[in-house]
Parts: sequence; structure tokens; C-alpha cells
Amino acid sequence: MVVCRSRALGQLSGRGWKRALLSLRPPWAWVRPLSNGKPKADTHFGFETVSEEEKGDKVYHVFESVAKKYDVMNDSMSLGIHRLWKDLLLQKMHPFSGTKLLDVAGGTGDIAFRFLNYIKAQNQRRQQRELKSHQNLSFGDIAKWYQNSRCSLGESHVVVCDINKEMLKVGKQKAQTLGHKKGLAWVVGDAEELPFDDDKFDVYTIAFGIRNVTHIDRALQEAHRVLKPGGRFLCLEFSQVNNPIISRLYDLYSFQVIPVMGEVIAGDWKSYQYLVESIRRFPPQEEFKEMIEDAGFQKVAYESLTSGIVAIHSGFKL
Amino acid sequence: MLSGPCRQVTSALLGRRPLAASVGAAAWSRAVHLAGPRPASDSAGPSQASPPSGFDAALLDVLVCPLSKKPLRYEMSTNELINEELGIAYPIIDGIPNMIPQAARMIHQNKQQEEKEQE
Repeated sequence: MVVCRSRALGQLSGRGWKRALLSLRPPWAWVRPLSNGKPKADTHFGFETVSEEEKGDKVYHVFESVAKKYDVMNDSMSLGIHRLWKDLLLQKMHPFSGTKLLDVAGGTGDIAFRFLNYIKAQNQRRQQRELKSHQNLSFGDIAKWYQNSRCSLGESHVVVCDINKEMLKVGKQKAQTLGHKKGLAWVVGDAEELPFDDDKFDVYTIAFGIRNVTHIDRALQEAHRVLKPGGRFLCLEFSQVNNPIISRLYDLYSFQVIPVMGEVIAGDWKSYQYLVESIRRFPPQEEFKEMIEDAGFQKVAYESLTSGIVAIHSGFKL
Repeated sequence: MLSGPCRQVTSALLGRRPLAASVGAAAWSRAVHLAGPRPASDSAGPSQASPPSGFDAALLDVLVCPLSKKPLRYEMSTNELINEELGIAYPIIDGIPNMIPQAARMIHQNKQQEEKEQE
């Protein structure tokens, strides 16, 4: 314990002190995971108990095996409703031209593509309004205007970060199919140790990813670090259902139907068993809200969708 | 709004009537512009087996080493991102940089450290 404390004190110099002061955690938790001083802890992998090191590997293998069928499975399991949830997330975000987005656990790029489409549509509407206000344009001017409107993204940019290469590969192929060429970047990275500099992004989103992270508090702290002051944290995640009848139907559906669907469509029962179990393990709305506040976010709020099956948590770095 | 040049171009394409020299040429070049981004507009990068397609320098502004949070240097010959201080290099595969610490290799040792395939 003495060794731990002195190392923790050593970390007080430099950037460690700010983070340490912000989070009101006991001193021995300041030691970063690369050191060997951290005691081995257990965590949950669905309803199983595994060591923390194992969880990372197991989660990686789950997503490696489902990567190709991920989108198909999402549509079948949620009966297409996941699209509405993601659209609602974008509406809540309401980005404007020039926004820099970081989509963590973004895998196949659903949020990123929606973001790009939203910005493009917004820009096109604005340009059309501008054009309507101009009178007496020659054909040359109009043609030039259309030429410029091709790259209607401006300064907006989205970085998709995921720990799993396979998911990103699927996402990159989708981007090519959908025709998104600019404003998009793909990075393999760990949500608990983001490879990005401080104060870089306007919005940080994590959709259906944070329950798979081994140390959620670290991911939240990293989110706080990479956001610009005034930046927004948005998390779309499965949560606790508030209606008892729907809760029972939901449990029935989750445990009886989804793993079977997983076996039939993706040929993988266990991964989808893990999925529904991990949903049950994730803290409910209020508890997660407190975790976000602990990481330093302010004005934290949540909105439950579909009677609490999913919730969007939002916080600001002020 | 584009009916004028569009009509000329389509009729030229269908070969119905020859384009008048100056007007036609101007309309044609404009149409080519409008047709889409020119394929040769990407800067000619190093001609490797898998060129760093999509890995643009814009990422370098935001990317740092996940361990030390210091900026990285892009090494074009080996297609890696190098952290001089710690002496490690992160590979770029298919234009996607792999910033997981376990995937990085040490560059100070003479023999390369085997990349762990964990992540």
C-alpha cells in the first residue's frame, strides 16, 4: 500500500493532479492500469464472473464474431426500432456545420453516417435558401453554385473509434457503399485510453458500447478529457424498463427469442446470450447519471425511450 | 435550372446534333465538373501495396499516443505512427491506425517485437 501511495503522489505532478482532484476516488485508485500494483479484480461478463483482463478479451471475441452480421442482427432483434433510437440521438445532438464528433465504440458507423447526412442536409437546405434569395443568376453562376455544393460538409468531421478492427472494417466498407468519402476517419482505440489529445471534440457519443467497457468510470473520464469546454457527452444505451408488464414481456423476448435469432441468423448463440445478459447488468438510469456526474460532467440528464428499454444520457463539460 | 447546358450535353451524348464549338466545349467541361469528383484529384501518395488510403494528415492533429498523450510522427516508409519518446510505433492497417498499446511495436530493439494479436 505504501508503494501505491508514493506512486500515486508521483502522479500528482503533471496532468495527473487535475484528474485526481476532479474525481473523488481513494488514492490507491489513481494508479494507472499499466503498473503492476493494481489488485486483480473480478467483473461481470453477462451473468458470468470473470477477471477484468478476461472481460476485455471475451468482449473482443464477441464482436469479432458478430461483426459481419451486426447490422442485420440489430434490425431483426429490435425490429428496426434501433434506427429510430439512433435518429433520436442525432436529433438530440442537433449538430451544426463545423462540429467535430467523436463516436466511440462506433463500429459499423451508424451514428457517424447519420451525423454526416444530417450536416449535409442542413447545409443543402441553407444553400437552397441562399440561392432562392438571389435574383438574375446566369447559368454559369448556377453551375458554379452546384459545383461548390458538392462538398457541403465544411469543417464538420467525425472520428469513429472502436477497439475492434473487424467492426471498423465493416464500417469502412459501408462508408464506401453509401458514398461517404470526406469528413470521416477510422481509428482503432480503447475507450478507456483514448488516443486523442485534450479538448479536441465538440461532441462525444457512445451508442450501445459503454456497457461492454470493463471500466466504465475510466471511459467517462476519458470522454471528459477529450471534449472541448462546452462539449457534449451523449450516451445511448439499454437501460431499465419502468413498466412491470413491459418488463416481463421484454425479459421473455430477450431470453427466449434473441439468442435463438442469434443462432439462426448469425450462427452464434453465446454472443447474443452475452448481449442480453450484459443489458441486465448495466446500471439503471439514475445510477448511470451519477457515474457521469462523478466524471465531471454537468447538467447531466437522461431521457428514457420505449418505456426505458433504452435511455439517452447527456452531460456537458463546462 | 441546369436545363440549358444539360440539354446540350445530353443531346451531344446521344449524338443527335454536334455541339457548337465554344458553347459546347464550355458546357461539356462544366458537365464533367458536375458529374462528380475527378478520380485523379487525390494526391499521389507513396505507391505501396496498400497505400494509406483515407489516412489523412487531419487525423494527426487529434491523434496522440494513448499512453503518454504526446503527439506522434507519421512514418511513411513503414506506414506507422511513431512515438519517439517511448520508442514505440503504432501500425496503420488498411488506412486505419491501430492505437491499442498492445499492438504497438518497440523500435529500439533490433528484432521486432511480435505484435500481440489480442487487440
